[in-house]
Amino acid sequence: MHDFVALEGLGIPTMFVVSSEFADAVDAQARALGYAAIPAVYVPHPIQDRTDDEMRALADQAWLTAPVSA
Amino acid sequence: MPERVALAPAPPAGAGLPADGLVAVVKRDCPTCRLIAPVLAQLGPGLVVYSQDDPAFPAGLADVRDDTGLDVSVALGIETVPTLLRFGGGTEVGRTEGWLREAWEELAGVAGLGTGLPEYRPGCGSLTHDLEVADELLVRARGGSLAARRLEIAALEDEAEALFERGFTDGLPVVAPTPARVLRMLQGTTREPGEVVAVVPPNLAGATVEKVAINAVLAGCRPEYLPVVLAAVEAASTDEFNAHGLLATTWGAAPAIIVNGPVARALGMNGGGNALGQGNRANATIGRALQLVIRNVGGGRPGEVDRATLGHPGKIGFCFAEDEAGSPWEPLAVARGIAPGTSAVTVFAAEGPRGVVDQISRTPDSLARSLAAGLRAVAHPKLALAFDATLVVCPEHGRVFAQAGWSRGRLAAELAELLLLEPAEIVRGAGGIAEGIPAGAARGPVPKFRPDGLMIAYAGGGAGMFSTVIGGWVGGPGGSRPVSREVGS
Amino acid sequence: MIVLDPTDERSPVRREPLRRRSVLDGVRVGLLDIAKPRGDVFLDRLESLFAGRGVTVRRYVKPTFTKPMPPDLRREIATECDVVIEALAD
Repeated sequence: MHDFVALEGLGIPTMFVVSSEFADAVDAQARALGYAAIPAVYVPHPIQDRTDDEMRALADQAWLTAPVSA
Repeated sequence: MPERVALAPAPPAGAGLPADGLVAVVKRDCPTCRLIAPVLAQLGPGLVVYSQDDPAFPAGLADVRDDTGLDVSVALGIETVPTLLRFGGGTEVGRTEGWLREAWEELAGVAGLGTGLPEYRPGCGSLTHDLEVADELLVRARGGSLAARRLEIAALEDEAEALFERGFTDGLPVVAPTPARVLRMLQGTTREPGEVVAVVPPNLAGATVEKVAINAVLAGCRPEYLPVVLAAVEAASTDEFNAHGLLATTWGAAPAIIVNGPVARALGMNGGGNALGQGNRANATIGRALQLVIRNVGGGRPGEVDRATLGHPGKIGFCFAEDEAGSPWEPLAVARGIAPGTSAVTVFAAEGPRGVVDQISRTPDSLARSLAAGLRAVAHPKLALAFDATLVVCPEHGRVFAQAGWSRGRLAAELAELLLLEPAEIVRGAGGIAEGIPAGAARGPVPKFRPDGLMIAYAGGGAGMFSTVIGGWVGGPGGSRPVSREVGS
Repeated sequence: MIVLDPTDERSPVRREPLRRRSVLDGVRVGLLDIAKPRGDVFLDRLESLFAGRGVTVRRYVKPTFTKPMPPDLRREIATECDVVIEALAD
């Protein structure tokens, strides 16, 4: 999140990919850093026990939902 | 230290103070209060004690009241603890601060107080004067008078960084405009916070006294500077001064301020050595406050409405005092129509200053020619009737004019005469320079400056034969004219 | 900390993220791996998706996900990228 603030501060639009479990944490920290909201793409929790194929599927899903694919 | 603030001096009716009897105000943190705790016990059950920091102190007394909110301390105007007060018939009839046996015995009407204690011990500062507490009390008492939007600097943000990121600064750090600081700033003026001072270009936003005070806090001003800042904002927001045009032009000039009158001395402003430079808080922050008002309230930001090709460092802030005490002439503001003895600002369009050396001339005629040569270069030596300028005459040059009896008006007239430019010298192409006036545009000599287009001020250190030229911008109705305004209270 | 707004109050109170880029042509994309396990697989896939769009990405890895990235990495990204995707926090 601090990386997001640092990079945006340098004029680089930054997209943050995070597991859905942390949506509340992202919101809270966004507010704590003075933002109304931070553009994040959420992927379904959990992450650590995923197979490589499942991870790739999550990436495909994120690709479709993120504004970056537009 | 924050300015002390008189807060609601009258004790609130029915606050529980005894109509008749003794009241003591103490805090545990104060060694004198701890020392005299046995004396309070001696004064008996009729004594009402207000404790500023710990309702359990002093222990074992009949009537110790919690004043950690400091409401009673504020209402009683407590400066020092311990303070012993006597009430009679519902009003205060006497008080003593600190511990002085004789005074306490007299006020209490009790002899033999604190035997074994020293005769005298000074008290400690009342908690109401603790910086943070004083701020909190100030905001509690007066915060309702503030109308500006409140912004929260979030827990994880660094305060200085947050103010940069929100675009409130000129590139240097600013002082965070907390409600308490703004309220203290507002005590520098008698004007109401909600009064609109000026409609500030370029966005033509109404700047209230409060908004100017907020920007004065950002700039680092002390409260007593505020009336000068307010006058400068008024002057810079006039149609005559045309701050919008000055900002929007690609030419790099910006508003600068000359301060005249008793306020310059009262604020410790610099009109002497390095007057145009760094190092004097009032000079630096008053000029900066004006620029921040234009930036934040007016919306005049570089790259947006401010289109300067290069600008200059004085756009951070450019303000100095005239050296009236040393000057052979009447104050600049007086020459511009302000009553003598009155404090005033003169706001004018200014480029960066540039020195003019003349260490040889002993006659006013020779020196005036040097200064005219320096002034001729303003904007371009071949351009005339275009840009205004200000000449700051230094003491060692001023002396030459003073000895010869030249008034400011005489110097201005002589300079105007010397700055009549021959068409042949300034026509396009003359001297191998394409820039210049169009051929045939002038049949006779052309004045370098429009009438009143050259302003003459007096400032600087006692040594150095270096006056300074401050180029301006296009003068007159289409451009910007200097504007003087009295400094109010 | 509360501060009073020094402006004419025409802008929003909260900070706004930068506007997203709608076109990727000629845009230098950085993929920042925060160094949590499994994130690399996710980012490898994103890299190939970008490649399918004809966009070559630059890859960066933070030394640790537990701290903000060090200043030298920030400088490197700032000079080499126009947009950044940071993944994968869980």
